[in-house]
Amino acid sequence: MEQVLNDNIYVIDLGEINTAPEIIFELSSVLDKDEAKNRRICLKLGSVDLNQAQLLSIKSLINGIESTLSTIDTKSVATEKVAMSLGIIISNVSVENSSEIAPAMPYKTAEEFKEEKAAEEICENNNVNNEELNSIQNTSQVETEMAESFDIVEESENIEQNQNAESDKQIDDEIVEEPENITNADSDIKEVNNREEIAENQNPDVIPNKEEVQDELDVIFGSDPVKSSIFEQAAPEEIYEEKEELADIIVPEAEYTKEDIELETYPTKYIKQTIRSGQVINYEGNIVIIGDCHPGCEITAFGDITVWGVLSGIAHSGAGGNQKARVRALKMNAIQLRIANCYSRRPDSLNTVFIEKTNSFTPEEARIINGEIVVFKIND
Amino acid sequence: MTGRVIVITSGKGGVGKTTTSANIGSALAKSGQSVVLVDTDIGLRNLDLLLGLENRIVYTLVDVVEERCKLKQALVKDKKNPNLCLLAAAQTRDKSSVSAEQLKKITEKLKKDYDYILVDCPAGIEQGFQTAIAGASEAIIVTTPEMSAVRDADRIIGLLDAAEGIESYKLLINRVRPNMIKANDMMSVDDVVNILSCQPIGIIPEDTGIITSTNRGEPIINNEKSLAGRAYINVAKRITGEDVPFLDIDEPKDLMGKLRKFLSGLKQHGKEQ
Repeated sequence: MEQVLNDNIYVIDLGEINTAPEIIFELSSVLDKDEAKNRRICLKLGSVDLNQAQLLSIKSLINGIESTLSTIDTKSVATEKVAMSLGIIISNVSVENSSEIAPAMPYKTAEEFKEEKAAEEICENNNVNNEELNSIQNTSQVETEMAESFDIVEESENIEQNQNAESDKQIDDEIVEEPENITNADSDIKEVNNREEIAENQNPDVIPNKEEVQDELDVIFGSDPVKSSIFEQAAPEEIYEEKEELADIIVPEAEYTKEDIELETYPTKYIKQTIRSGQVINYEGNIVIIGDCHPGCEITAFGDITVWGVLSGIAHSGAGGNQKARVRALKMNAIQLRIANCYSRRPDSLNTVFIEKTNSFTPEEARIINGEIVVFKIND
Repeated sequence: MTGRVIVITSGKGGVGKTTTSANIGSALAKSGQSVVLVDTDIGLRNLDLLLGLENRIVYTLVDVVEERCKLKQALVKDKKNPNLCLLAAAQTRDKSSVSAEQLKKITEKLKKDYDYILVDCPAGIEQGFQTAIAGASEAIIVTTPEMSAVRDADRIIGLLDAAEGIESYKLLINRVRPNMIKANDMMSVDDVVNILSCQPIGIIPEDTGIITSTNRGEPIINNEKSLAGRAYINVAKRITGEDVPFLDIDEPKDLMGKLRKFLSGLKQHGKEQ
């Protein structure tokens, strides 16, 4: 029933037990053995539905013998969701990640990613003794680095000057800026009405996501199946081509997988309003937001998130585990980006007081490359 | 180790509770104490912003209460000072998500591992306030020399007197402008102390640097030139039990005598107790 996979992973198969108390009983008898200690445990469960409390008690049982519950293999959708909300990885035995939280790394820009790539290549080239190529790459890298650091110095100087001189003005500026938003105001009001209507017609089956289920106060929008299917048909082809273009330049894209198909078949929710601090949007599909997402808001989607505006809150795409999901925005200023089970925070250097709205944004897209979240500019 | 749980409260909003929490916390941590800042202003959190930790928050107080994560996972370490941790409030929930008993449990746990637990209280006297003071044994009441803030502080002192568990409380007078006091446009520090009949633990002068430091996400105690920063460091020292004279926040010499008089009065007052 149980086996040691390699040095560290310990598989416990409880696939044939169908009630939660029995599982806990069986588990505790297995865990009494010495060989279960100090290991990463992979739990195989059958179709039994476990709730959060039960899974937590299992987790604490395992933690009690100084092991960690690293992955769960289950046939039950309910268990899967609960496990995901607890940060346990759902999969087959081979997954290696542990459930512990690693400190969030700042997300990378495409240039940083390229530089790292270049550095790796240099290492490789050194092995081949290709000196010419080396020198070229080195100089180009140094140049870009110098140019960048110069930019940064200039920027920070500007910021300091501005902040010292205009610390009081900043508040005024923000107020002055508001009228620009007012163009949206009409539609906002309409949307508020819509929301109320939608809230009334809300379909209880659509209540979306893992941890937020009990969250009665969340802003949950009902979905309109007719609308969403239209968007779904209109959008995917174009977007996919775009992905291909981006991909050709930097990293060869993995082939068309079932995750891509999943993304394309997801329904899409279309939201036309500014998302403000404290608002939560959960949806088991793609989300398109026409408007800004202010700091303090949380957007969670099983598919892609596309923001036609400034994204400053927390965005979590691929919440169901889809590694190919992406986050796009006209201006990427997200406090945190999460895609599937990866997450990253905004670099501290980008910690500006507010984003100035101009006519010349460069749209950006975040996606996972080699387990890291990288932000690409549209012209990368 | 049993840490001290101190709640920072005011009643009125906008008098500088959060700024005070961030700065006293940072100053205590800088002096080598281990400190946890607990933001209980659920739904309107700001403490993370003042410390510049906004982008590092993954789990919040509500997640801990609802057992979605362990307490240690939710503690965010400060960028500069490893002694300082933040337990952030959830932004997407409201005050009813955490009850007084639940917060008390958390502070009891934190007490075992940290020297100081500073609880940043929300404005108002409703459930949020009752929750925040639940685990605390000491309180710092922040007020400004304005009638409205003083009235609210008086109300809070009354509630703290009635509350179980609060053993002592001190007054912190924020945003004091010596020039206005001199021109008789503002209540003086001893006026406030007289009205509230409560011992002050600190007098913080008005400082425009606070706005800059808030925007940058850096506590003002790191700015050695700032008078307010030095005043906060002194408050932290007084909390640890050091006897530090009150800072001379007044530039013109006319008021010096007045302040000295006030200070000597305080010392006598202290001896009497």
